[in-house]
Amino acid sequence: MTHTWAVDRALAVVSLKRRLAYKANWVFAIVLGGGSMLANLALWHNLIGEGTLGGYDWDAMRAYLIISFFTATLAFSGSDWEIADRILDGLIAVDLTKPVDFQRARAAEFIGSMLSTVPTAVLGVVGAWLLFSPPGPVSPLAGLLTAVSVLFVFPLAFGITYLSVLVCFWTRRYLGIMWAREALLGFFSGMLVPLALMPAPLQALSWALPFPHFTTTPSHIYLGRVDTAGALGLLAAELAWTVVLWFGGRLVFKHAVKKVTVHGG
Amino acid sequence: MPILEARSLSKRFRRADKASGFKGALKHLVQRKYKNFTAVDAIDLEIEPGESVAYVGPNGAGKSTTVKLLTGILKPTEGTVRVMGRDPHTERIANAHDIGVLFGQRTQLWWDLPVEESLKLLKHMYGVPEADYKARIEKFDELLGLGEFMPALARTLSLGQRMRADLACALIHDPKMVYLDEPTIGLDISVKDRLRAFLRQLVDDGTTLLLTSHDLADIEEVCERIVVIDEGRIAYDGPIEQLKAHYITTKAVDLVLDGPADVGSLAEKFPHYEWSAGEAASEVVVTYESARFTTAEVLGDVTAHLRPRDLSLSEPSIEDVIRRLYAGELTK
Repeated sequence: MTHTWAVDRALAVVSLKRRLAYKANWVFAIVLGGGSMLANLALWHNLIGEGTLGGYDWDAMRAYLIISFFTATLAFSGSDWEIADRILDGLIAVDLTKPVDFQRARAAEFIGSMLSTVPTAVLGVVGAWLLFSPPGPVSPLAGLLTAVSVLFVFPLAFGITYLSVLVCFWTRRYLGIMWAREALLGFFSGMLVPLALMPAPLQALSWALPFPHFTTTPSHIYLGRVDTAGALGLLAAELAWTVVLWFGGRLVFKHAVKKVTVHGG
Repeated sequence: MPILEARSLSKRFRRADKASGFKGALKHLVQRKYKNFTAVDAIDLEIEPGESVAYVGPNGAGKSTTVKLLTGILKPTEGTVRVMGRDPHTERIANAHDIGVLFGQRTQLWWDLPVEESLKLLKHMYGVPEADYKARIEKFDELLGLGEFMPALARTLSLGQRMRADLACALIHDPKMVYLDEPTIGLDISVKDRLRAFLRQLVDDGTTLLLTSHDLADIEEVCERIVVIDEGRIAYDGPIEQLKAHYITTKAVDLVLDGPADVGSLAEKFPHYEWSAGEAASEVVVTYESARFTTAEVLGDVTAHLRPRDLSLSEPSIEDVIRRLYAGELTK
């Protein structure tokens, strides 16, 4: 393992340990996330009944909601406040004296904190699976590609979160930015309502953004709403967004770091 | 060749210029106005390897901003900095390998982890070999008593423990150049003594040190050279001993007499000395120019006419000199 990867791993492990240090918070997340999924399942069951909505019958919707729960648990669990706080209270000064790439170090920490919610997500999915018996993937290949798509959620979530947190260098506040990001992510990803139920212009707008890859892409692949070529196309788009956001983050940080004004001490 | 070289180093910040109250806030929303203020103003500084330099100044003088420019955290508005031949801002990561930084008011410990975990993470970051890491931890334990709180969560440490742990974090990779910004702030006297002894050892071992502190005992005990900064500019740069020799031109003898002291008649009798009343009625202070009179001469004169019950010698402290430098009473 090269030195840089060893540092990434160490940062991710430390971040994971920090999250696990707060056990009550962790248990609360399981209860809240699981409860939210159950409420969603009950709501959509009532709405769909024996029919279909936006091409989803109850079988497909169960799988959709479980995938949505899984990716939402990951996407909303990163250490965004920790990065924002460091920028806002000046602790970034300490980070900048360390021999590590700022973005890469934050990515390692972010992924470490996301990993802390994997048990929550897995536990929720297993529970939902036992209770609601959703259909499996349309094919083993679709299952594999769905897993790849879910894996891409890690860097994608970091890219979006990191870029939004960097806005703090200009705004000097984070709460509003976080609310805006979470609203956009919830709406345009299909976590709130499947994109298929939205008007065509909104659907087109969603697909021009990175957000659908959090929920709609993995569920489309899983449920066979796209063929293998379509699935690979979606994965390519997801990967492209990951790369664009990574380098976008670099570009923004290069300008943002000039805005560092740590007064006093 | 200097280990650190700053030329015409300046940093200007922009501050919002808005009137107070709701009206002022609304006005600023539609008509934004800013004022530039200069935190560091065309500073020239050179530090040779192995030097221990105190960088002092009143609050808001630009000390911490200078440290942030020298460590690469801030980008200078004008001027250049080279540390070991590198630009610390554009070559931040390479520079960070060779420097150690401690900000007394900001911890580098991971707040909710044991101290040991923070140090191990830094070991990974700096690529410190395991044997070196162990040897340094042993040394820090011996000199700073680190072992007693290594397993403790950072958030549970006392301020003194936190500062000692932060110092270990800043030095775990054996940096060539160390910046310490207020390392003894808020500490009690015993912890201060311990830290100062450690810093003296560090300097004796050849580490180059730049220290900012409001505690002048830190400076006198650890550093040989002092740079005084005020309003972003260097007011004095030279050896501490030279500063004392140049500006401390008087000495004083505090006398305790058997009865009340008559300052007026003493001043008439010895007009070449300066006389003033002491804290108690029976105390009197005689001040003389050390270049004109020896202490023995002064004592000879005084004891020929007075029978002091007690006496003590004193000279203005470095603190007095720096206070006068800040006040603009002295110039280089």
